[in-house]
Amino acid sequence: MKNNNNIEPKIMPETNPKEINELKNTFRVASENIIAQTIERMKKTTPNRPKEMEYFDEIANLFGKRTKELDQAKAEGKKIVGYTCLFAPLELILAAGAIPVRINSGWYDTSKLGDRVVPVEVCPIIRSTIGAKMIEFSPFIEQSDAIIAVLTCDGMTKLSEILGDYKQILAMSTPRVKDSPQSLKFWTAEIKQIKDNLEKLTGNKITSKTLKAAILKTQRATRAFRRLQNLRKDNSVIFGRDAMLVNQAYMWDDIDRWTEKTDALCDELERRVQSKKWVCPSDTPRVMLTGTPIFWPDNWKLPSLIEEGTPQGVLVADELCSSERLLYDPVGIDEWTMDDMFNAIGERYLMASTCPCFTSKDGNEDRINWVLNKVKENHVQGVIYCVVRGCMLYAMEHTKLKRALDKVKIPVYYLDTDYTREDAGQLKTRIEAFLEMLNAQIDL
Amino acid sequence: MTAQNSDCWRWQEYHRVMPGKSYTSNDVATAGIDVGSVGSKAAVLVNGEIYSWGITRTGSNSPESATKVLDWALKDTDIKQSDIKYIVGTGYGRVNVPMANKALTEIACHAKGANYIWGSQVHTVLDVGGQDIKAIRCDDTGRVTSFLMNDKCAAGTGRGMEVFADLLKIPIEEIGEISLKIDEEPPAVSCTCVAFAKTEAVGLLRKGWSKEKVIAAYTKAMAVRMSTLINRVGLEPALVITGGQSKNIGIVSRVETALGVKCLPTPNWRENELDPMIAGALGAGIFAKALYDKSQTQ
Repeated sequence: MKNNNNIEPKIMPETNPKEINELKNTFRVASENIIAQTIERMKKTTPNRPKEMEYFDEIANLFGKRTKELDQAKAEGKKIVGYTCLFAPLELILAAGAIPVRINSGWYDTSKLGDRVVPVEVCPIIRSTIGAKMIEFSPFIEQSDAIIAVLTCDGMTKLSEILGDYKQILAMSTPRVKDSPQSLKFWTAEIKQIKDNLEKLTGNKITSKTLKAAILKTQRATRAFRRLQNLRKDNSVIFGRDAMLVNQAYMWDDIDRWTEKTDALCDELERRVQSKKWVCPSDTPRVMLTGTPIFWPDNWKLPSLIEEGTPQGVLVADELCSSERLLYDPVGIDEWTMDDMFNAIGERYLMASTCPCFTSKDGNEDRINWVLNKVKENHVQGVIYCVVRGCMLYAMEHTKLKRALDKVKIPVYYLDTDYTREDAGQLKTRIEAFLEMLNAQIDL
Repeated sequence: MTAQNSDCWRWQEYHRVMPGKSYTSNDVATAGIDVGSVGSKAAVLVNGEIYSWGITRTGSNSPESATKVLDWALKDTDIKQSDIKYIVGTGYGRVNVPMANKALTEIACHAKGANYIWGSQVHTVLDVGGQDIKAIRCDDTGRVTSFLMNDKCAAGTGRGMEVFADLLKIPIEEIGEISLKIDEEPPAVSCTCVAFAKTEAVGLLRKGWSKEKVIAAYTKAMAVRMSTLINRVGLEPALVITGGQSKNIGIVSRVETALGVKCLPTPNWRENELDPMIAGALGAGIFAKALYDKSQTQ
């Protein structure tokens, strides 16, 4: 089977078109059900859920409104650029007149298909993305004209080769030592290289004017984003899984509209702060999540178990590259020259990152500090360290983070899981036991 | 029970009424029901003190198992279910205990129960259940400070022992002592997965190993697995073992050897002491009393 670029696939197996269609339809029905059920549950278990969440519930349907908009944009000649990691410089994609969309997969069903291509020991996010491509399941992968593959962990690196069977890959190599002077130089060169490639892809020149407009656009988004995270600091004015859904929607939504809707949500939340209207009692254990990224829709298992359990916990912060790390840092500009803008973009994506794919002179101490800081600012009572099977980097950093949290007497629980629904019972016991431990109510 | 019995895995169901206790309608009766994946346990407390308890096998229906085990614990007592003021459900089937006022995890309950059985010197609890093992750290009051749990897997659990009892035709109650009837400790079986360990055991029997040697090799592998979990959570004496395998002397002694510490002695239920298998139900019953008291003051 030849793909649309008319290249013989090197890695992907030949899949019978009939099978593709059958699986695609079955999974689609299942996925739409899961999306609807999860949102329904989120509504039902939050008696006074913010009204502005309705917009994000709609955007959460991966096969709905946004997919149609992207189809429309494509028909009008716009290019769609998919990306695998938050290191992809969105400002450049926007400045080239293209639309960015993140393509990591949270589907459990497609990870089983990925097993045909790579062994089960491989991280399920990778297997699931491969499986989605096998049956053309993910609208965002299919719509992408090119994919920026950031070569962070081993899984992402090899994923780019596999996706390369079908899509034009614009690879970006990250340095491994974050804080060495050569690294920033190297990374800035990678960004320039991406700029050239994006210009070639879109046929649009990235000018200082378009780049400035793009930076201003993401800066506005960052402000709205930070406003939302700040509102979660003191009182539980929103459940963490709702906030995480808002954060995650940024990965595929139109950025200006997302900013506007997030600001509207923040307005509503500020009114609730005024009238002291909280989503849960003040003694609900305050939990922070860190570790392997969690992706909508199926991989919402963990936040759901935490916030829908007995006892119930509330997620007040996270350190996930699929949520709070997405937009935490703005591009900081001194002067609007082309050079300065490029340097600022380089720094924003490299230096601010706490991804464990890096080491540094002090050994990714940035991540430890980020977590400790959040724990303090957001009055976190316990940390859940989530790792999916096969995610070596996050698994290996657990020991160090645990030691730092032990010092400040914050309990941390290591939770290993996979892209499967079968371990929900076990996870429930573990999470509930952890919440009981945090919960002063049972201190009898 | 003879060694020829084909149901070697089938352990005895039993119940006890603690001697020298009394109940009048002015007393507060509470209960804890622990519906595990293999065994169901119930403990009835009067004014926060253990009064009677019972252990049964868990059936396919959790609510039925809960009812059955509570009736069993109340057998030969003058307490009726309707006299019980507050019930806490725990264990794998905790959400399916119909008469429970509240559900708590077995992790909190085992720590609390161990604190009651052995006293405040208990700081590390190893609970070896039917389908999972848990290493729990707690403070002087039995409050959990950290814990670890293995993945859902029968390796190193009571269910794994049942499989071996059946394979080797050794009654499950005797398996611990038999595993110690060896001249020299054999190397541990290399597979911890029950399905593969069984295949490995069959191979060892063909090679001419005695039953005693085979079960010793399997018991050792299980004990190593348990010790690793304890080391990961961090061992703080005193250590106790709860759950069905606390009665397996082969496991207890090997865990002690691997860790280089002695566990506090396992009480003898035959002599009217508390069975460590009911630690979870007992802890649930203690929480039930506290929750009842709290509900009365509000």
